[in-house]
Amino acid sequence: MPRVTVYLPSLLANLTGERTVPVTAESVGEALKVLTTCHPALLQAIFDESGALREHVLCFHNKENTRWHVRGLQRQLRPGDRLTLLQAVAGG
Amino acid sequence: MATWPAFNVVYGTVTVQRPKDLPEPMETVLFVGTEKGAFLMRSQDRTRWAIEGPLFKGWKVTAAARAPDGRFVAASASHVYGPMLHVSDNLQTWQAVADGPRYLDGRKLQQIWTVVPVAGGMYAGVAEAGLFFTNDPMGPWQPVPGLNDHPTRVAWQPGLGGLCAHVLLHNPRNTDQLWCGISAVGVFRSDDAGETWQPKNRGIPVAIEDKEHKEIGFCVHGLALDPHNPAILYRQDHLGMFRSTDGGDTWHDNSAGLPANFGFPIVTDPTTGTVYAYPLQSDEYRLPPGGAMAVYRSRDQGLTWTACREGLMQKGAWTTVLRGALSVDGQSPCGVYLGTTSGTVHYSIDGGDTWQHQHVLLPRILCVEVFTIRE
Repeated sequence: MPRVTVYLPSLLANLTGERTVPVTAESVGEALKVLTTCHPALLQAIFDESGALREHVLCFHNKENTRWHVRGLQRQLRPGDRLTLLQAVAGG
Repeated sequence: MATWPAFNVVYGTVTVQRPKDLPEPMETVLFVGTEKGAFLMRSQDRTRWAIEGPLFKGWKVTAAARAPDGRFVAASASHVYGPMLHVSDNLQTWQAVADGPRYLDGRKLQQIWTVVPVAGGMYAGVAEAGLFFTNDPMGPWQPVPGLNDHPTRVAWQPGLGGLCAHVLLHNPRNTDQLWCGISAVGVFRSDDAGETWQPKNRGIPVAIEDKEHKEIGFCVHGLALDPHNPAILYRQDHLGMFRSTDGGDTWHDNSAGLPANFGFPIVTDPTTGTVYAYPLQSDEYRLPPGGAMAVYRSRDQGLTWTACREGLMQKGAWTTVLRGALSVDGQSPCGVYLGTTSGTVHYSIDGGDTWQHQHVLLPRILCVEVFTIRE
């Protein structure tokens, strides 16, 4: 099973104690499931009440935004892949 | 005042005991929640303060409380990540609560407005309006269906701050009796430990009238209980200051003597029952009348009010105190603490007679809690 790295924004890193979390999973969605199982407090921060990614949270698989990709969180992982969680930043 | 080390001092094998006539050492800790983190202000004498923080840097911090078992609980929020509870033994290291308040029926949890210890557990009041209860701050937090799914729920409408359950009171002499304030719905009372809830707003002007449910549509801003007579409640409402002498069954205007009938926070000193409020000019402006800061105090159960101004800015203070940002410590004399939307923190250690300020300029202050920690 591929071993990948999840990169967290600093606000969420305060909940895990680390900016990067190694995860072993077949797909993006499975990786996020493993991540939130290891760090349960992240579950409510990343996903909304319907189980979807929160509106202002993005998950990049390497350089692809999963929200805009037809396979979304079903994208398959390869060893060494990088998942990056980003928060929307806006305003002046 | 005599000072004494925080703990008994051990010299070799000899322990020096604290003389019995010295007061028990205690620490007063202000917990100030802001738009961008929380700050702690610690003092042994309420005069010299050590300031720490920010905790939860970058997170909005909306409430704090101490659980019945002594642990501390803080509520954070983020427009990206939503609300979250955190628990600490020592106010230094915090553990995020994974199994916190959460609706399972599609309603969104937007913010945790208040966390309140009661006999046997804690309540959290949240937006979208509802209550959650737990026996253990680390969870699980269970919804309170008697309120969250109230028959009038279909007609609940939000105020400017959203549809939020922002205050919960409990009767210290009758653990079955609770009051909950929801904006802009009104006050509900439970007489059966939260199983069922009845609207208690008779005598209050309606803010948002519903065609069917005439018993709701009232915009309660703040609620406080007389510590010596739980039938007496104080209510800072959108449309005035009110008092009840029958547990909330009926309400009567008691704003005479106040410079404005609008405002948010209202608290009572748990030792003396003295009432403190911070009136603001109208819902259009939400500013202290004349740009002069003043806490209003009542020592006769809300019948008359006295302005407490000495040491507070009397010119150019165009700032607001939000509903969670006025607090008392219950010590003698009572310490009164407030935080402003301009990020300043002011305090009185003589029951409001005179005021000092902390040497800080913080982000917008959302809540001020005070913990008295006996060592």
